[in-house]
Amino acid sequence: MSLEQVTKADQPATDDEAMLVRVQREDFSIDEELRRVRARSKRIGGIAMFLGTARDRSKGKDVDGITFEHYEGMAQKKLREIRERALKDFDVIEMLVLHRYGAIGIGENIVLIIAGAEHRAEAFQACKWAIDELKQITPIWKLEHTPEGEVWVEEHP
Amino acid sequence: MVTVRLFGMTKMLAGNQGTLSLALHDGKRVRDLVAVIEAAYPKIGELLQKKKVLLSVNQDIAHEDLEVKDGDEIALLPPFAGGSEGC
Repeated sequence: MSLEQVTKADQPATDDEAMLVRVQREDFSIDEELRRVRARSKRIGGIAMFLGTARDRSKGKDVDGITFEHYEGMAQKKLREIRERALKDFDVIEMLVLHRYGAIGIGENIVLIIAGAEHRAEAFQACKWAIDELKQITPIWKLEHTPEGEVWVEEHP
Repeated sequence: MVTVRLFGMTKMLAGNQGTLSLALHDGKRVRDLVAVIEAAYPKIGELLQKKKVLLSVNQDIAHEDLEVKDGDEIALLPPFAGGSEGC
């Protein structure tokens, strides 16, 4: 990685860019986040979105709730890297990457990726790449609350 | 003294501490720090050896040859689990 890339990912360049990559405790509005991406360019003609939500089963066991822990600073840096690489390596115009932390109830929103491109193929491709990459490189950990106790999720499915 | 931040299951394996304060006597590289952690917390040491837990210095995954300097931000990173399961 070049020094320039490291420096870029270390800090968001503008307030707008800071809003496009966030790690936050509170829930988010999908409509509001979609508006944020659409407002970035009138050239966007296809938007693909991935929303991850908390489900009540994990590896055959009941789950009552989830707590996400993150490494403040590094998590944001990795999400910024994902956005910057998506903008560079895929033909997308804008990307939003948002992940929640803290206690999350079953059915609630966890993670949101929105990719805006001129056409659908690039938007789908970048969106899928971003969520796969997020799971690989972002220091976020999941504690599942089950009737038998709490379990840190160790492995990616 | 070096302060090491803990997350997820490494926190649990260290008796629910959020950080470890460790003295580095025999060298200043990441491998020396790993040896100190192995001696004090064998279960974490085993996971470090298996690369199931990674060590980061200043928010980058560190190679064992990297020198640890005063003021470096060091953390133990268990396997990541962001997103939602199966997504």
